[in-house]
Amino acid sequence: MLKTMLGVIDATTYHHDLEELISHRTLAALPIGGRYRLIDFVLSNMVNSGVGSVAIFPKYQYRSLMDHLGSGKNWDLDRKRDGLFFFPASITDGDSEGIGSFNQFAANMDYFYRSKQEYALVANCFTVFNMDFNPVLIRHLTSGCDITEITNKGDSLEVYLIKKSLLIDLILTRDITGYTCMKDVMLDLNHDYKICHYEYNGYAEKIDSISAYFEVSKEILTAETWNQLFIKERPIFTKVKDEPPTRYTSTGEVKNSMIANGCIIEGDVENSIISRAVKIGKGSRLKNCIIMQKCSIGEDCVLENVILDKDVMVGNETVMTGSKNTPFVVRKGTVQGALMNS
Amino acid sequence: MGKKRCVAMLLAGGKGSRLYSLTKNLAKPAIPFGGKYRIIDFTLSNCSNSGIETVGVLTQYQPLVLNSYIGIGSAWDLDRVNGGVTVLPPYSESSEVKWYTGTASAIYQNQNYLSQYDPEYVLILSGDHIYKMNYEWMLEYHIQKQADASISVIEVPWSEASRFGIMNTNEDMDIIEFEEKPKKPKNNLASMGIYIFKWKVLKELLEEDDENSHSTHDFGKDIIPMLIEKNRKVVAYPFKGYWKDVGTVQSLWEANMDLLDDSSELNISDYNWRIYTVNPNHPPQYISSEAIVKESLINEGCTISGNIEKSIVFQGVNVGTGSVVRSSVIMPDAHIGENAYIEKAIVPSDIHIPSGMVIKPKEGKDDVVLVTEEMVSTFIS
Repeated sequence: MLKTMLGVIDATTYHHDLEELISHRTLAALPIGGRYRLIDFVLSNMVNSGVGSVAIFPKYQYRSLMDHLGSGKNWDLDRKRDGLFFFPASITDGDSEGIGSFNQFAANMDYFYRSKQEYALVANCFTVFNMDFNPVLIRHLTSGCDITEITNKGDSLEVYLIKKSLLIDLILTRDITGYTCMKDVMLDLNHDYKICHYEYNGYAEKIDSISAYFEVSKEILTAETWNQLFIKERPIFTKVKDEPPTRYTSTGEVKNSMIANGCIIEGDVENSIISRAVKIGKGSRLKNCIIMQKCSIGEDCVLENVILDKDVMVGNETVMTGSKNTPFVVRKGTVQGALMNS
Repeated sequence: MGKKRCVAMLLAGGKGSRLYSLTKNLAKPAIPFGGKYRIIDFTLSNCSNSGIETVGVLTQYQPLVLNSYIGIGSAWDLDRVNGGVTVLPPYSESSEVKWYTGTASAIYQNQNYLSQYDPEYVLILSGDHIYKMNYEWMLEYHIQKQADASISVIEVPWSEASRFGIMNTNEDMDIIEFEEKPKKPKNNLASMGIYIFKWKVLKELLEEDDENSHSTHDFGKDIIPMLIEKNRKVVAYPFKGYWKDVGTVQSLWEANMDLLDDSSELNISDYNWRIYTVNPNHPPQYISSEAIVKESLINEGCTISGNIEKSIVFQGVNVGTGSVVRSSVIMPDAHIGENAYIEKAIVPSDIHIPSGMVIKPKEGKDDVVLVTEEMVSTFIS
């Protein structure tokens, strides 16, 4: 039988440090890199590694995630057999400590029973990376491991490869063993399972705080990171939108920035990531900013070290400054006027 | 198949010979336009936005790219359970392939396709023009006037009228005469090549025309005059708005430049009338610290390190440091090296402009330069 993998993405994580950006939408749906959502990276990696069956387990505020994923068509997962599966958690379930909550899997055993794949790749939803998982499977098989944990620079990436039958076992025996998630198994010294580590050398960063989100966004603007994330042979897939090309006017200068489609740029933009359909008015100056979809920035504004969530309107002559390590974050849909303070 | 009120037949078989190397391996409707689109996207989006869900696309010349581009029509929301888009290439019957010899005979040969839907009305379109139009309004006008045929017309400057097929009308907008490129035009209403017919009426006419060996089997030259001769009700539907034929290198360049003009009537940012297209998957564009971008349209997947001014840059284009691109159209996946200079030119897809190359109109002339592989080879050697 073909040694194949199914993918499981644990999208239940709630990092409190990202509260301003994830209070109304689940972490997996966090916009990043101008046109992506955080889950796009691990999901695309799975698809590019030949995984044809992916189950996503979301928990909080998953409406925009569901809207983003749809039937999975944009990731080539709208299939007659296998494809994309979406298993929302019951809100009454307690928070799990780590990735791959067995309680949540237990509520959806049919998916595991019906899958024909022999191995399961259990991953978190919040890592920015572009990785081929096939070498991990090969090493897992040749070394005879029970569970392989992928690490990066020595730290766990919280991505695990495990034989599906073993995973099912762990899920069914969780009340006896006391293991609530994959991490519990990794940390316990009392079992006979052979635990291996696979060190991935490429770029991989977890988004677990505002500062991590801000840092990683800056890194994406460098050629070194860009070339490790946006690889022609293994593209990052995302939901397709029909926006016209971005319009640059006679005013405004753009330097070292990533701009999505549908924007109208009339001001200065430096070291920033601008998402789709954003308007930046004449005379405005943006530096080190992350501006999400459909924001509208008026004229003569100054924004430095700022993150604007979607649909924020900034009135003329507004000044907003955050610091390098603590960016000023504006929640979705807010209107900011000239008299607002940092 | 369910009965449909109106089926659109989109003529996309033309060669576009006045576009030279651009159409060497590509049918004219598949030519890139506007930084992101292909010419046919406008007509297909118009169909979708007008609520016309059943569209037959007649391909012939170099159909490979066009056929696979259209696919099952998902990009334009034309992937439907009943109807949707169908690509109709010429096919062989018995012993010979019946090529499309004229616009009318192309429709005639696809009777079986139309019979499936048994429509009341047929909308004839071409995939050669850039415009936004609600065909449903034209259909309502046609029904209200109880016409056998309606032809969409647009006012052109009198000085240019002799370049077009001109419709001579009475006060009720009935068409009484059709003149192809008249030397002394009596009217300035030009045919846009958009027709609505009652299918029953059209079917009869096509049969008659097919038997006429002297006919060129063309809508404008043969079918419309036939209708007028038989005293059928043929009306002109007046269209107001932007409409451009992009059949020459010059007009293709001009139409692209029109997108940069704020006063132009062609608005591709109208969310109420989106122009759909097959979206290639690219990361957002990257503008480097050395770049200067002014008055231009840039699409996804580009890496810009040079100066872009009054230009249209399609997806996946790289412009190297020190290069200047002015008043030009750079088509998908073209690459421009460093310190190159490009002015008033169209750079076709996948062309690599080497560093240091200079491209601009000849001294004293104003014509748009269509860059070719030969020009690049000559420069390198």
